[in-house]
Amino acid sequence: MIGAPGGPQLGPWGFLFRYRGRFLVGTLMLVATNAFALAIPWLLGRTIDALRGPDPAGQVPMLALAMVVMAVFQAVTRIVSRVQLFNAARMAEADVRSILFGHLLTLEPAYFRTHPAGDVMSRLTNDVQTVRAMWGPGMLNLVNTAFIFTFALVLMLGMDPWLTLWALLPYPSMVFLGGVFGRRIYRTSRAVQEELGSLSSAVQEDLTGVQVIKTYGLEEERQGRFRVRSSSLLERNMALTQVRGQLLPVLGAVASLGTVIVLFVGGRRVIEGSMGLGELIQFNAYLAILVWPTLALGWMMSLLQRGQASWRRLAEILEAQPNIVDGPLVVDGDKLRGDVSIRNLTIEIGGRTLVDGISLDVPAGTVTAIVGRLGSGKSLLIEAIPRLLEVPRDTILLDGIDITQMRLLDLRRAIGYAPQEAFLFSSTIAENIAMGLPEQGQNGQSRDRWSGDSGSSGPTGVSDEVRRAAEAAGLERDLAALPDGFHTVVGERGITLSGGQRQRVALARALVARPRLLILDDSLSSVDAETEKEILGRLDDVMRGRTAILISHRVAAVRRAHQIAVLDQGRLVERGSHDELLALGGVYAELYRTQLAEEMAA
Amino acid sequence: MSDSAKGMDGEQVLGKAYDARLMARLWPFVRPHWRMILLALVLIPISIGFEVAQPYILKQAIDHHIAIRSLEGLGLLAGLYVGCVLLQALASYGQLFALQLLGQRSMHELRLATFRHVITRRAAFYDKMPVGRLLTRMTNDVENINEMFASGVVTLVADFAKLLAIVGMMLYLDVHLTLITFLTLPLLVLVVVWARGIMRTSFREIRVKLAAMNTFLQEHLSGIKVVQLFGKERRAARDYDRINVAHRDAYLGAIRADSGMYALVEAIGVGSVAGIVWYSGTQIGDSAMTVGLIVAFVEYVNKFFIPVRDFSAKYTVMQSAMASAERIVALLDTEEHDAPARLEAPAAAPSAQPSPAQAIGEAAIEFDQVVFGYREGDEVLRGISFRVPRGRAVAVVGATGSGKSTLIRLLTRLYEPQGGRVLAFGRDVRDQPVAQLRQRVAVVTQDVFLFTGTVADNVRLGRLDATDEEVAAALARVGADLMLARRGVDQDAQVSERGANFSAGERQLVAFARALVRDPEVLILDEATAHVDPESERLIERGLEALTAGRTNLIIAHRLSTIRRADHIVVLQRGRIAEQGSRSELLARNGLYARLERTFQRAEDAESSAAGSA
Repeated sequence: MIGAPGGPQLGPWGFLFRYRGRFLVGTLMLVATNAFALAIPWLLGRTIDALRGPDPAGQVPMLALAMVVMAVFQAVTRIVSRVQLFNAARMAEADVRSILFGHLLTLEPAYFRTHPAGDVMSRLTNDVQTVRAMWGPGMLNLVNTAFIFTFALVLMLGMDPWLTLWALLPYPSMVFLGGVFGRRIYRTSRAVQEELGSLSSAVQEDLTGVQVIKTYGLEEERQGRFRVRSSSLLERNMALTQVRGQLLPVLGAVASLGTVIVLFVGGRRVIEGSMGLGELIQFNAYLAILVWPTLALGWMMSLLQRGQASWRRLAEILEAQPNIVDGPLVVDGDKLRGDVSIRNLTIEIGGRTLVDGISLDVPAGTVTAIVGRLGSGKSLLIEAIPRLLEVPRDTILLDGIDITQMRLLDLRRAIGYAPQEAFLFSSTIAENIAMGLPEQGQNGQSRDRWSGDSGSSGPTGVSDEVRRAAEAAGLERDLAALPDGFHTVVGERGITLSGGQRQRVALARALVARPRLLILDDSLSSVDAETEKEILGRLDDVMRGRTAILISHRVAAVRRAHQIAVLDQGRLVERGSHDELLALGGVYAELYRTQLAEEMAA
Repeated sequence: MSDSAKGMDGEQVLGKAYDARLMARLWPFVRPHWRMILLALVLIPISIGFEVAQPYILKQAIDHHIAIRSLEGLGLLAGLYVGCVLLQALASYGQLFALQLLGQRSMHELRLATFRHVITRRAAFYDKMPVGRLLTRMTNDVENINEMFASGVVTLVADFAKLLAIVGMMLYLDVHLTLITFLTLPLLVLVVVWARGIMRTSFREIRVKLAAMNTFLQEHLSGIKVVQLFGKERRAARDYDRINVAHRDAYLGAIRADSGMYALVEAIGVGSVAGIVWYSGTQIGDSAMTVGLIVAFVEYVNKFFIPVRDFSAKYTVMQSAMASAERIVALLDTEEHDAPARLEAPAAAPSAQPSPAQAIGEAAIEFDQVVFGYREGDEVLRGISFRVPRGRAVAVVGATGSGKSTLIRLLTRLYEPQGGRVLAFGRDVRDQPVAQLRQRVAVVTQDVFLFTGTVADNVRLGRLDATDEEVAAALARVGADLMLARRGVDQDAQVSERGANFSAGERQLVAFARALVRDPEVLILDEATAHVDPESERLIERGLEALTAGRTNLIIAHRLSTIRRADHIVVLQRGRIAEQGSRSELLARNGLYARLERTFQRAEDAESSAAGSA
């Protein structure tokens, strides 16, 4: 139901179009509501006339009854119209959210480097809400104002054209003032938002660097800075308040001038005898009905303007085209050998060459370690293998197949990847690990890749595969110490795991499907050296006959690799075994020396 | 803790719209601005008075002029009406402004208090509290409470006063007609109570669903790489749809209640007008039942129903404000205050002065049987004892996770040991004012944190009153001037968030200058393990020498060159000291350290022989 086709080309109204049925019903009901509302002044006018007429006792109760009937009708149509219109807007809003999120999932990491999560998040929350406000209250008021004005004007003009002109004299200035205030409110509220944004960044920075603040005794200095920012926020807020506070009194006062004019000019008519008293009361009541839609006009304009601006920001997301897409070849990921060949790969980001003509063969079943200083391009190189970033054709081959020609899912299923930052979701440890398994039904049967049996689960509902992956990642002791073991919830609302524990859960996640190719991006950096050694020992077992590529800063982790590739400023500068590279006395030997203290004391 | 933890977590907080206990907690922030409340309270009756007078003037105009066809004095009444309208506008603007000023100023104080509270917690507090959550307290939650001032408590009071004034005026004009008009009142109460019940539950549901949706979104956007790596896009989209629909449906309930209330209140208003009409039909011949009276009553009914109709919006604002207040109060109730900056007992002050008599060789720092763990049962340090004599350099060597960095945190009293003592300048750190302790040491961490601002600003954090010349001198002494020159900038160069526009090595140099400008008695350095480019490496080496010369140094060392320069070496292994002593002692012992150096030597030999053969 949700997530129907939609895109930037549809424009903001395209999403609402799906709910045109509701929208139509809502609009019709709104028209009916207004018709019933406009009947009340007429009934009131007739009452006054009847009271002054020959047979009040006979007519007036009927008029009162008619009013009650109108009230009931009006209530029903009003409820239906509001529910239909607002529901349509909420439904379209949910659709937009789903489509945006679905689209974001197809965009590559490069997109998120230029569009930080916080920014995307604010579009999916704040901007979607603004667009919804344009659809819901915005449309409601637009329709409302249009109909009320048309109906009331026709009725008023029919009663007395000149009085109508007199009474509406202040109205153009109301529309004008509404526009002026709308713009001022927009400007000042944007200033508030900006200040709030910079206050937030400042607080975030202080909290992140709180240890520096404490060790340098800067608490009071930072409080002073915060006070300045908070005061400036206060000032901008007050500027906004002033504008907002002026709006209603000013417009209300202008609107009341209409009443005075009717009283004075219309009163003269009645006194002169050219108008009945009932008519005057009726006329005045129509005018009263016009006040609110007129006041809302300015507000509605700003809703529409802001809605359009927010829609632009949403369309920007929908217009972003994913660069990394499926290739035409369907490959059974389970049948790959895991033979990686990198051929003259160059990666440029933002005009800088970060990986510069690297060629490297990783034969199936071998372990290759990649080392290098910060910024030498090693992470980029291995991120290119599961196509986390775009690579030219025929620069990376898996089993001789160009990876850009493969389906993404096939390619990525062949790879177990443990990224540098061990990102876990706030669910249980077991669920986090099981995330590494292919989805049920994605590939027909689910087979336990560890024992070869069909998937079995232990007494606690944790499958054997998950249990064994956790074991291989050296998690069993930690699991025993946690209150709910595998079912311990991590993150936001759960237990905070240590950096090393998180890394090992992420490692288990990469291992659980027993991939043909395992890629570790410095993924044991927070694990102590001794445990790392132990885990690497177990990995030998688990990964026997499978290919592994790993980045590590620790000599112990890389020295046993079949080959070590040393990167420096994007180039492959040294390649060979540990002993060969030591004898070479180059970059690797230097790295090794600075690392020794670490290794020996372990 | 568990109670406050519930509050902190937060979004599940119930939907009460008024909580006297919370109001009492907020009162201290509002109290300094009580004049604003007074002003608002004075203006409220004024604006009500001018508003309530308007229908009455209308009545007079109709009954005494229009209905009896007397033009004389109609202009005066029209003028009077305009005057009432303008004065009402003025008074209500003043009232709103006073309330907003009250709200904004109080919330400014609340923000400051929250920030002060947060920044003065001890380090362990931040381990448990995500930065995002703290940030939300200081921004969104404070804003929510602020809304309460604009359209909350006092406005509700004002509305109530207005309703009373309207009823009073109606009673004054005609008691019977008033009673007839408010025959619908029970119905109105029923509708409001019904809607409030629904809104309370749906408000709670909406908050829970919204929080779930935002958490999911936040998490999946930050972890999108993982979702893609494991090919879980479709599952993520499915899960999001589910949460999204639940959130939407929570709103659909609220929309029904809100629309129902709005429409029914309007209809009941019309019902009241019908009552007035019907009654007027039964009172023919009564001279008091005039057209003007009917018009005035209709006007009063309209004015009466507007605030009632807007009640639901205000109610939501109040609920949201209360939920936010609950969370802020829970945050302000967390204990874990940092160690006191100054000693409260003045008697202790004199001895806190650094004693000039301390001679070189006396212990500046001493760890005495220190036991510590960040979590219970998971000890990082297990009985550490060693001394750092004045004017000497001690190097601590050990693998990641052996507890080296923890030593620094204990020494600066970010954390406190569970067993043993840490002594600085001859006294237990717990007996010293923490501000003074931290004043006498300077710490350079492994992962340097730079703040946004200029390079000079960052250096000045070491000593706030340092002049531009002193800052420049410090930068020059550690060689950071060369680094800046290489980039073609000077000390006024902007540093972006977290120093992202500087490399790790460059940040390190700025941190050296920051420590140097402080001119501390003790320098504590956690040497960076990151491999930087050779040029930066040379600069860092030079800066390090400038920084450590002539001071007491405690260095977590990763480089052999640094270790060799130390007077005393402590080798840590899994939270215990494996061995310690001077370099020659340790070499003679032929233990862990000796083996370490030999391997270093081999590597160096291999390197030089390779260089020789090349």
